[in-house]
Amino acid sequence: MTIAVRAVARLLLAPSLVVAVATMVKGYAHVGDGFSAGVIVALAVSLQYVAFGRPRAEAALPCLRFAPLVAGTGLLLAIAVGFFPILGGRPIFTHWPPPGVHPMRIGTLEVLTAFVFDIGVFLLVVGALVVLVHQLADDGPAPP
Amino acid sequence: MNLVVSLAAAVLFGAGAYLLLKRDLVRVVVGVSLISQSAILTLLASALTRGQAPIYPLADAPVSDPVVQSLALTALVIGLAVTALLLVVVDRVSHAYYTITQDDVAATEAARDAELERAGADAEALTE
Amino acid sequence: MTTLALALLIPWASGVVLVAVDGRRPLVGWLAVGALTAQIGALAALAVRVFPGRGVHFVTGGWPADVGIVLRADSLGVAFALVSAVMLLAAVAQSALEGIQERTFPGLVVLLATGLNGLFLTGDIFNFYVFFEIAMTVAYVLTTYGGGRRELGAALVFAAVNLLGSSVFLLAIAGVYRVTATLAMESIALRMADVEPNAAILIAVGFFIAFGVKLGLFPFHFWLPTVYTGARPAVAAILSGALANIGAYGLIRFGAGLLPNELQLGATALVLIGGASILYGGVLAISRRDPAETLAYSSIGQVGYVLVALGVGGPVGLAAAVLYALVNSLNKTMLFLAVRMRGALISGVFLLGALSVAGMPPAVGFLGKLALVHTGIAARSPALVGLLVAGSALSFVYMFQMYQHEFWSRPRAGHASPWPLQLLPAILALLVLAGGLWPEPLLALSRGAAGVLSRGGTR
Repeated sequence: MTIAVRAVARLLLAPSLVVAVATMVKGYAHVGDGFSAGVIVALAVSLQYVAFGRPRAEAALPCLRFAPLVAGTGLLLAIAVGFFPILGGRPIFTHWPPPGVHPMRIGTLEVLTAFVFDIGVFLLVVGALVVLVHQLADDGPAPP
Repeated sequence: MNLVVSLAAAVLFGAGAYLLLKRDLVRVVVGVSLISQSAILTLLASALTRGQAPIYPLADAPVSDPVVQSLALTALVIGLAVTALLLVVVDRVSHAYYTITQDDVAATEAARDAELERAGADAEALTE
Repeated sequence: MTTLALALLIPWASGVVLVAVDGRRPLVGWLAVGALTAQIGALAALAVRVFPGRGVHFVTGGWPADVGIVLRADSLGVAFALVSAVMLLAAVAQSALEGIQERTFPGLVVLLATGLNGLFLTGDIFNFYVFFEIAMTVAYVLTTYGGGRRELGAALVFAAVNLLGSSVFLLAIAGVYRVTATLAMESIALRMADVEPNAAILIAVGFFIAFGVKLGLFPFHFWLPTVYTGARPAVAAILSGALANIGAYGLIRFGAGLLPNELQLGATALVLIGGASILYGGVLAISRRDPAETLAYSSIGQVGYVLVALGVGGPVGLAAAVLYALVNSLNKTMLFLAVRMRGALISGVFLLGALSVAGMPPAVGFLGKLALVHTGIAARSPALVGLLVAGSALSFVYMFQMYQHEFWSRPRAGHASPWPLQLLPAILALLVLAGGLWPEPLLALSRGAAGVLSRGGTR
């Protein structure tokens, strides 16, 4: 891989995280959701694999070892957000706050169950796609 | 508008079907992926009306049905997962068979069938 | 409502947790068995509420019915969900007793149970598609188990063919949305009556192809023998006992529930295709030497009966289709779990399985065949009754031929398998015997399930 690809790959990783978070935060009202945010980050990580090869990419990003755990946590978080209304006797995937009620705000961020669900989906997609790239980047035995 | 979309879906389906009949297994996977994309395009076309795209509608103008966009997104995610799975299976096949063409897969099946016939014939001979 | 949500939540959450841990440890296998038992408990609680006639119906998020996703439990869905769950439990328990060799097997079977529950308990066609894909993706992975050449070849064929079926299903959903502008099954059933016949026929053919590929009906059967013989016996049991139910349920729900007019229009074609399946499967099963292959061709034949019953239609035909689909699932799971084992109990299991597939008392298969003959009589067609008798004769021949080859001929006798392993197919055989000796609950169940569809719509 040429020096340009390597430089761009290294530079793109952090901004991709920023873009992903931005996509998720505005997701409930504008275009964007957890899935596309997850794919953006996963693409940046895959670019690392392509540009540097598997050993160097995994040495440079040790947090990739936890990808399966991240995926599982994301899925459990999404399921929890979806199914917790049955504790209150309401149908599943009922959102809190209900329509018409002003949501709680942290700064300019509105706290909604939709946002927490998107975080869960984001974690799931990032974890799953990183596991996939790791699996396919494996070098098998050479054919005879 | 509908004619263009239908033609595009038909071309995708045809290309996918053509690739599906190839010997190289990676092309078969791409063919399956193209066929599923054609189905998703038809899904999007099922809500085409004269109106604006429902991304950022300006006021006082008819807007197309946005439900189908979410259906298409779901179908795309499913397609991603299944294509990924198929690629991993092709990867494993290439390790197990040391090849990624369909002929060798079929040849191994034929060899096993012949062996089974022989084993059946031997058992018949023993019981008689 | 809570039980329905629990029936989805229990397998989903436990499946995710179990996939992350190492399934080769015995504890994990038995945890999977526990999760499936808990899920069966939730389904049984749902059944107690639903079978007397009161359905459970709610919309996610509290939205109105045409906006949100409708989840609905009625006799038809819960009957299929219960039977499939019990079959999955048998397969996992068998594997846990034998010793699981793959890391993710228990977790994946629990996730398969999630997919199956979701699609049997939903009232929205796109939600059906999503759970359908969850179940199928897990099935593709399960088919690769073993990692050997045969398993991988089988998995590749299975995945490619079923993905084509899924794409055709998605095309049919696009068609339905185009003509009815809704995704909820009840609204579709109401609005389909006003749709122009050409479009409706195309949609019906699309659904038929998709579910025919899943079931392994005659023109779309070519993947079935490769996959059922290439995969491990426990996986083949799961495929034939649980996954084939998706095809039968889909044909019944989408055919008789959503598109009843098109079902009547295509009745002759359906009966012909079903008859071709029965004869093709029966004749080819006789010519096979390997018992797993015989069972695979037998599966092709047995699902033909479901299609014939569906083609005849009416309350008698629908009840027969439901009954035969459930009975077939029990038979095939029992036989596939026992196919590589030997021993005194196993030969009893095989004998009972042979009686059940051939349709003779005291096995529960007799009930299925009897219901089908009633259907033939209700259709006033001696040709149909003749076809059913011919199919039963073929089943009798190949099942007893297999029994003779496997258990009576000396060189194949081999060693008896360990007692705990023989116990599980024996329990299923007891269920077969119980169903045959005490038919009233099964008959009432199938009539109630069919009654759901005849009551105008899918409520």
